[in-house]
Amino acid sequence: MSAEPTPRREVVTGEPRRVRPLPRYRTQSEIDEQTALGGAYVRSLMRGQLRAGLTAFAVLAAVVGTLPLVFEALHSSAVVWAVLGFAAYPPLTLLAWWYVRRAERNESDFARLVEGRPAP
Amino acid sequence: MSRTYAVAAVAVVVLATVLVGGFGLRISRTTSDFYVASRTVRPRLNAAAISGEYLSAASFLGIAGLVLVHGPDMLWYPVGYTAGYLVLLVFVAAPLRRSGAYTLPDFAEGRLESRQVRRLVSVLVVGAGWLYLVPQLQGAGLTLKILTGAPGWLGDVLVASVVVLAVAAGGMRSITFVQVFQYWLKLTALLVPAIFLVLAWRGDGQPRVTFDAHLSAFRADHPLYATYGLIVATFLGTMGLPHVVVRFYTSPNGRDARRTTVAVLALIGVFYLLPPVYGALGRLYAPELIHGGDADAAVLLLPGRVIGGLGGDLLGALVAGGAFAAFLSTASGLTMAVAGVITQDVLPSRGVRHFRLATVLAISVPLAGSLMVSRVPVADSVGMAFAVSASSFCPLLVLGIWWRRLTPPGAVAGLLLGGGSALLSVAITVSGAVRPPGWPHALLAWPAVWSVPVGFLAMILVSLATPRRIPPGTNAAMTRFHLPEALTTGRQR
Amino acid sequence: MTGAGYAVIVVLALLLFGGGLLLGRRTARPLRTSDVGTPVEHATFETLHTASLAAPPLRAGLTGDSARRSARRLRSLLGTDALCLTDRDGVLVWDGEGDHHGRHVMEQVAGVLETGRDTAFRSDCDDLDCPLKWAVAVPLTVDHRVLGTLVAYAPRESAVLARAAGEVARWVCVQLELAELDRSRTQLIEAEIRALRAQISPHFIFNSLAAIASFVRTDPEQARELLLEFADFTRYSFRSHGDFTTLADELHSIDQYLALVRARFGERLSVTLQVAPEVLPVALPFLCLQPLVENAVKHGLEGAVTSSRITISALDAGSEAEVVIEDDGTGMDPQRLRHILRGEGGGSTGIGLLNVDERLRQVYGDDYGLVIETGIGAGMRITVRLPKYRAGVHGS
Repeated sequence: MSAEPTPRREVVTGEPRRVRPLPRYRTQSEIDEQTALGGAYVRSLMRGQLRAGLTAFAVLAAVVGTLPLVFEALHSSAVVWAVLGFAAYPPLTLLAWWYVRRAERNESDFARLVEGRPAP
Repeated sequence: MSRTYAVAAVAVVVLATVLVGGFGLRISRTTSDFYVASRTVRPRLNAAAISGEYLSAASFLGIAGLVLVHGPDMLWYPVGYTAGYLVLLVFVAAPLRRSGAYTLPDFAEGRLESRQVRRLVSVLVVGAGWLYLVPQLQGAGLTLKILTGAPGWLGDVLVASVVVLAVAAGGMRSITFVQVFQYWLKLTALLVPAIFLVLAWRGDGQPRVTFDAHLSAFRADHPLYATYGLIVATFLGTMGLPHVVVRFYTSPNGRDARRTTVAVLALIGVFYLLPPVYGALGRLYAPELIHGGDADAAVLLLPGRVIGGLGGDLLGALVAGGAFAAFLSTASGLTMAVAGVITQDVLPSRGVRHFRLATVLAISVPLAGSLMVSRVPVADSVGMAFAVSASSFCPLLVLGIWWRRLTPPGAVAGLLLGGGSALLSVAITVSGAVRPPGWPHALLAWPAVWSVPVGFLAMILVSLATPRRIPPGTNAAMTRFHLPEALTTGRQR
Repeated sequence: MTGAGYAVIVVLALLLFGGGLLLGRRTARPLRTSDVGTPVEHATFETLHTASLAAPPLRAGLTGDSARRSARRLRSLLGTDALCLTDRDGVLVWDGEGDHHGRHVMEQVAGVLETGRDTAFRSDCDDLDCPLKWAVAVPLTVDHRVLGTLVAYAPRESAVLARAAGEVARWVCVQLELAELDRSRTQLIEAEIRALRAQISPHFIFNSLAAIASFVRTDPEQARELLLEFADFTRYSFRSHGDFTTLADELHSIDQYLALVRARFGERLSVTLQVAPEVLPVALPFLCLQPLVENAVKHGLEGAVTSSRITISALDAGSEAEVVIEDDGTGMDPQRLRHILRGEGGGSTGIGLLNVDERLRQVYGDDYGLVIETGIGAGMRITVRLPKYRAGVHGS
């Protein structure tokens, strides 16, 4: 049998091994390099912290701002004693403690936001 | 009242300050022990140190004296001193620590990148520091006068010399453990006699204390305005005081700085429960102080008056020792802060370290002031320092940390107009040129109500008018101030 | 008139003529010297002064900021109506009148940027009041690279202006070259830091691993501890975050290093650490204290028969932190040390000291270099002062 056609050959090469991945820009590096995106992250954190701070300050200001007027109206030195001498301090400490918890929670939420996000 | 115990107590405190502050506590570790390098100052320890340094003559003597004379409205002072730390916590604590600044001029330079602003802030810091130092020295003078009958100026000179000695001998070391000890000493020095005083009062049948109008001395004909002026000054002025700012550096990070501030709040709150007791009892047992004499002396006189005998003498000695500890610790903390600023920013050459000269400068000007100026109630004169700080440093800190559009010309405008006007008002009041009654006196004696808004407005308006001067590093600075620590280092702590 | 009379007249005339000639020449000659300065000298002073004032901003390189700060002075040097500085991409600054011409500048100077050749062009515009009719553009080149151009405008064609613009541009280029030199100096120091890091590792890694290996059988717990410390130590040495670190981290790393050294030398070395907690947050350049401690260890151990002692202390000093590293080893010849610190000493000894001294001075200024007390056989005591705050220094 000599008229058999020679078997065809096909070109074979190995699969491409090195696929260049697209650079993944971590959010952390966006913040480090202060790009517009990083700036947006930082500004959002700042807004949250400012909100917590202003809340605490507003509570303080509202109470303290009206107290002198209340004292004037009441004309009772016993009340002034009780409030300014003793009762003022625990609420101040509690307000401070509330703020610290809020601020720390803002920060840990933010940290989770930054680290958990994959490349945008 | 036998004075020997009191004098001995004062001498012990003075000697301890010179020795410990001068030669320092040595904390040596050989390598067989655990390594120190990873240790940081724990927030509670740091808080006790800060409180120990913060409680000054105003806290120790001044509040009780004012309460005795003018009634419980004066309790706004201690509430203000405490709430000032709350305002500081909420707006300034963590970002200031993260800025890495040691003093306020450092913060100004880092945020605004301008040497002119730095110099202006330095001048104001020195001014505020001197204003705060004068009442400390005067309080010391008063204490010695009461205890030993010495002339009024002796105590001032004594405290000034001790401070210079301690700093010259040991440099400007800030030793946490010493200041922690100061806090507990001051607390004990007020608490223990207070307990006995209250017991004695109950033994006397618990006579009621009255604060009727005709018994209270005249303070201001616009008491509501004065109260608000006091509130604004103390609430907003704490954050900029020189010896408060430098203490933030010791916290290892922003988070700890916040926690430390809360602890400080609690600790000084505990302390401030005590002066009102002295004020109220003073009214009963030392009523002559209401209309004449220095009411600041109430705390010192009461133990002898109420309890008497050996117990009274010993307790009086304890109180005197605590009082002197208060003067010395605050005075040395302030002097170091002011001398540091003078060395860095005012004295010309940097080659040779001039801080010995700077220390002498830092204390001699307030000493001269304390000797020349007639005595104003200690708490009021401290209030003036707060007013200057609130009008200049509060806008700088708050806007610098939270507002991106602050510019150096804006900062200069705010500092000059706010701080300058407060300083001017204080100077006029002290010089006695404008006398009560009347609105001019009230406005000048408690300037914070108008000078703080002036400072803020000036800073904001001028900054908006000079948008080209926004420092290029603003974004980087904001990121540094507000980013939590775990993200800046990139690894778990 | 007699002959004598004629002779007298002739002599007088000659004298007058000679005197007049002399006088005329004396006054006609321009004043060569003057105690207060001739007008030409004054003009030279002015020019030199203006030039020296324009110099400092350009030391920062050709940026918008530096161009803005120096443009006015450059324009007054040239005396033109308008001056424009560009970089390769666009106009940096326009000083003077007629800034509506700024729109067209980049097209006009495209050729200059390409070829580096001066060029001149007409700059007519529709505005009748605009005095700018003609301009000359000169390239600003550093190292055969064209960084930008300087364009001067005038009401009429002027060869003088062309020449002057060329001279001014050459002078600006000198400043820009100095800026490049500054930059490469910083790069050199960074390269040295990298080399320093490499210098620590091989030698030290080998010895430490050998020491750890010796513990594996006899005291496995100790070996494990040391391995962990070693891992931590190398991680610190190679981390890339920023150029600054805190004193706490640096001391921590030193402590680990000392633990590993002690594993090798046992009781021959005793170390005292004295650290004030208040200075732990101070920021300082990376690996500034490590080489000093290594130096102390080396000096303390070589040639010492008895045990040696090293003291490391970090104390608070107001607005600075003071770090002192002292050893009682062989010490060094002060003269030789001076040579090393001047950069003249050869060999590898003391390279660490030189590098640390240079880096401290570069970051904090000349007041904050190393202070070393030493003598042969007298040990060595190195004092480092670190400001608690410096603009631009942030420990991460």
